Amino acid sequence: MTAMTPAGDYRTSYREDMTIFPTRNSRRALWLGIGLLCLAPLALGRYELGLLINIGFLGIAALGLNILVGFTGQISIGHAAFFGFGAFASAWLHERWHIPVALCIPLAGLMTAVVGLVFGAPAARLKGLYLAIATLAAQFILEDFFARAQWFTGGVAGSITEPFALFGWVADREETYFYVVLAWTILTYLAAANLMRTRDGRALVAVRDHYLSAEMMGINLAYYRTLSFGIASFYAGLGGALYAHYLLFVSVEAFNILFSIQFLGMIIIGGLGSVMGSLMGAAFMVLLPELVQAGADALAGGAVDRTLKLGANISFLREMVIGAAIILFLIFEPDGLARRWRLIKAYWKLYPYSH
Amino acid sequence: MRLRRRLLGAAAAAALAWPLAAGAQPIPVGHLMDNSGATSDVGVPYGQGVADAFAWVNRTRSGVNGRQINVLGFDYGYQAPRAVSQYQAWSRDRVVAIQGWGTADTEALVRFVTRDHVPYVSGSYSAALTDAAGKSGRQGVEAAPYNFFYGPSYSDALRAMLQWAAEDWKAKGRPGRPKYVHMGANHPYPNSPKAAGEALARELGFEVLPAIVFALTPGDYTAQCLTLKNQGANYAYLGNTAGSNISVLRACQTAGVEVQFLGNVWGMDENAMKAAGTAANGVVFPVRTAAVWGQEAPGMTSVQAISRISDQSGTAYRPVHYLAGICSAMLMVEAMETAAANGGQVTGERIRDGFYARKDWVPRGFEGVCAPSNFTPDDHRGQLSVALYRARVAGDTSQGSVAELMRAGTMRLEPVATITLQRKPEWLGW
Amino acid sequence: MDWPLLLQLTLNGLIVGALYGVVAMSFVLIYKASQVVNFAQGEFLLVGAWVCWWLLTEWQLPFWAGFLVTLAFMTLFGVILQVVVLRPLIGEPVISVIMATIGLGIFFQALMKWIFGVFAKPFPPIFSADQVNVFGLQVQTVYLLSLGISLLIMAGFAWFFTVSKHGLAMRATAFDQQVAQSLGVSVPKVFAMSWAISAAVSAVAGVVVGVVNGVSSALSFYGIKVFPAVILGGLDSIIGAVLGGLIVGVLENWAQYLDAEWLNWGNMYTVAPFYALILILLIKPYGLFGTRNIERV
Repeated sequence: MTAMTPAGDYRTSYREDMTIFPTRNSRRALWLGIGLLCLAPLALGRYELGLLINIGFLGIAALGLNILVGFTGQISIGHAAFFGFGAFASAWLHERWHIPVALCIPLAGLMTAVVGLVFGAPAARLKGLYLAIATLAAQFILEDFFARAQWFTGGVAGSITEPFALFGWVADREETYFYVVLAWTILTYLAAANLMRTRDGRALVAVRDHYLSAEMMGINLAYYRTLSFGIASFYAGLGGALYAHYLLFVSVEAFNILFSIQFLGMIIIGGLGSVMGSLMGAAFMVLLPELVQAGADALAGGAVDRTLKLGANISFLREMVIGAAIILFLIFEPDGLARRWRLIKAYWKLYPYSH
Repeated sequence: MRLRRRLLGAAAAAALAWPLAAGAQPIPVGHLMDNSGATSDVGVPYGQGVADAFAWVNRTRSGVNGRQINVLGFDYGYQAPRAVSQYQAWSRDRVVAIQGWGTADTEALVRFVTRDHVPYVSGSYSAALTDAAGKSGRQGVEAAPYNFFYGPSYSDALRAMLQWAAEDWKAKGRPGRPKYVHMGANHPYPNSPKAAGEALARELGFEVLPAIVFALTPGDYTAQCLTLKNQGANYAYLGNTAGSNISVLRACQTAGVEVQFLGNVWGMDENAMKAAGTAANGVVFPVRTAAVWGQEAPGMTSVQAISRISDQSGTAYRPVHYLAGICSAMLMVEAMETAAANGGQVTGERIRDGFYARKDWVPRGFEGVCAPSNFTPDDHRGQLSVALYRARVAGDTSQGSVAELMRAGTMRLEPVATITLQRKPEWLGW
Repeated sequence: MDWPLLLQLTLNGLIVGALYGVVAMSFVLIYKASQVVNFAQGEFLLVGAWVCWWLLTEWQLPFWAGFLVTLAFMTLFGVILQVVVLRPLIGEPVISVIMATIGLGIFFQALMKWIFGVFAKPFPPIFSADQVNVFGLQVQTVYLLSLGISLLIMAGFAWFFTVSKHGLAMRATAFDQQVAQSLGVSVPKVFAMSWAISAAVSAVAGVVVGVVNGVSSALSFYGIKVFPAVILGGLDSIIGAVLGGLIVGVLENWAQYLDAEWLNWGNMYTVAPFYALILILLIKPYGLFGTRNIERV
């Protein structure tokens, strides 16, 4: 994954070569961005902060899926089930074992990682389409498990959880929980970006690009594929736990096949194999329904609204737009928003030369 | 340019003057609906009834004490997490009361509305919501002092139908013990009366068969019907909404199952009778209102006026759920009027107390349509009197609208009996 | 052991399984010809059923006329989908194509709900005798019709692929696209034709299910049930698809029997095919009749 560098490659140390931020400006931009986000609760309303929080934990889960699909070349149509497992696990840990919520979140991630490894081991033997179908079946089986495991999930009625609390500071409102999610998002994204420049990360990419050659080079395919499932599940579980302590209520109905498909949509729209793309894709998926709602509100009462009955059918319109967005991005922008962003940056940097 | 300045000036003046304008701040009320999810087949008419009733109150009665009711509608598609998320948005907007819908989300929100003092009138009639003070001692049932609903609870309706079924068995002179089976999805709403029903059935001498599961969505339920036929059940309770019950009724008719089906309040209505055709003939189900659309009653004029809000032509047929929605909304309106009387604040606690203010409560203007309700601080079982009707379908229902079929007599709702249960304290909460 | 119930359930399973087989055949047709996994197969059923219902109720056409018009419409529909959505994605990785078909599925499901509403709508009565008695089990006449049509379709497919020129062209394209193209076979036309036939055949299944159960969004679930059927039979074998469909139908009903007699879990009918799917994928991923994919370096 390349970023814009000044003309020519001039590095004088390994450290410079391996850095995540090739230019000073990109590092400064990141600091500026984080600073602005920290100040966001002062400027934005609850609703916008709620959207940002959604982007946060969905972005973490999408990043996990991107590691699995974009970097390792596997497919998973059951990601929502792992997200749900993390949510239920966090709620269960807190309710049953009275572990403070701050610890429940990473522990839930670890529990989900274990489950992911269990699913990943047989999945490592399957490729491509068969893997997709197997994960589809796993999604339905896990959904069924959630509905029936009363002791773990509260059955079909769901379970109620407590908000995040650290040394007496309770983060039960958007303004405060925002910082929790921001912290975890920064942590996980840095971890993923770092993973990609380590030996294991490069091994994952090798497995994706040409697994036969990778195997011949001594990379253990089964090990890395399973590891990839485990990492993806950890991220998904983390995202799920953050979701659970935001909504304070977890129910199996939320983790259906449509949700899994939305995760896949996020990484495809954002860009497969791109860390930043996962966040952009998550932002797109969260903001798209808002756009649709705004569009419907703008047209409300007019002739278009009356003939199409937009108001009553807004949820169908939302789904149609999601489906259409996925298809249009696949046809016109198959490498996703990340690539489009890179092209825009290149245009600015290299104008008037072609990029 | 000058015009724009003038307009801006006028707007500024209006904005400044508005708070002074007669203090007529609207009352924010939340309204959760299912217009697109698994229970939308019954959610759409009920939600329409609630919305139209509020609009009518705003129009003809100038709202509550001169203050318009600002209804914030939200279609949550029967997904509990979306309802909870919307509730949290509303509670920060200081919504004073909520018209809710489904069992799963209502039960999930009990703790929240109790904490935030927000009266919640639900479309869910789960008995767990009636234990207002938490005194029932039932496991898993929390105190729900702010939850109300218009109508008999699912458990009480099932108890009434079982009592009727026991008498029906004797009246038919059949030998031996009748067999009863609970059918429904594995979901809080159909599961709600299961334990209560099976317990009472055993008490009344029924042989209780293992429950049969079928999903809330329409589908092919031939296998379940074959099992039902094989078990030899005599009375089967259908716990789902009309949409999936239709599939079961048709499949069971094909499979040649002979059983008396007992529906829940959401399980059968005029639309379902048209969709299921002769398969729906004979289904016994409770009706929450004292009259159905097309019958004569003093309150019907108000109902028809409300119906005109969304149907100018006045030709639409309004199913039983529409009328129940009206009654639910009117209960809330009158509770708010009680709260606002004598210059009082319309707050959650006062609205809740408004529910306790009347005995045998029929909202004014709806006599003969809304059945009387009684709420007390310990016991939110509003109605213990269950009116049972039988669906009668005489011929092909595929041609013609519901209104035409009802007028022609092809479809009829035949009153069967009204069972009044005793207000037993041990039956509270389950 | 309740033998009469088991027999009845088995019969029911075979009848429903024949429908699964028809849908699975259409799925395999697309996969064999154009290497595309169609996650929107269920939506073909849905669209076909709704269009036929609309023609019968709104335009008052007799059943046979509405049925033929539906077939024509679905053929066109399949061609348009292939040309507009799938053709630009030729050569893209399999995840992209899968996502495109998933996106199509979501789009059309929501569109159907928007146009026709969420209530299940019954078909107008078509046959004078609604049911017939088969071995003690009351079977809907239309299910027998579907059995007949399924056999006809299978025979048609067999003739098409072994004798007709277009069918042979399709087999050649499935085997090796480049060689087929060099021999003069128009590969884009073959793709479009495969989608058209698949859409039309699925519409037949959709109409049948619609006549029995009423048309509703539950028809899309057939598109998910098709996966256990094709995995069992082998992704690129049409005979396997039919057998897979029958086996899944019987499996569902036997699971229901198990559930009703002993387990009392209540959900085995829905979940059992997916457990079977995972099992097959672990033991015999290429199914009963699929060609084994031998990897060469």
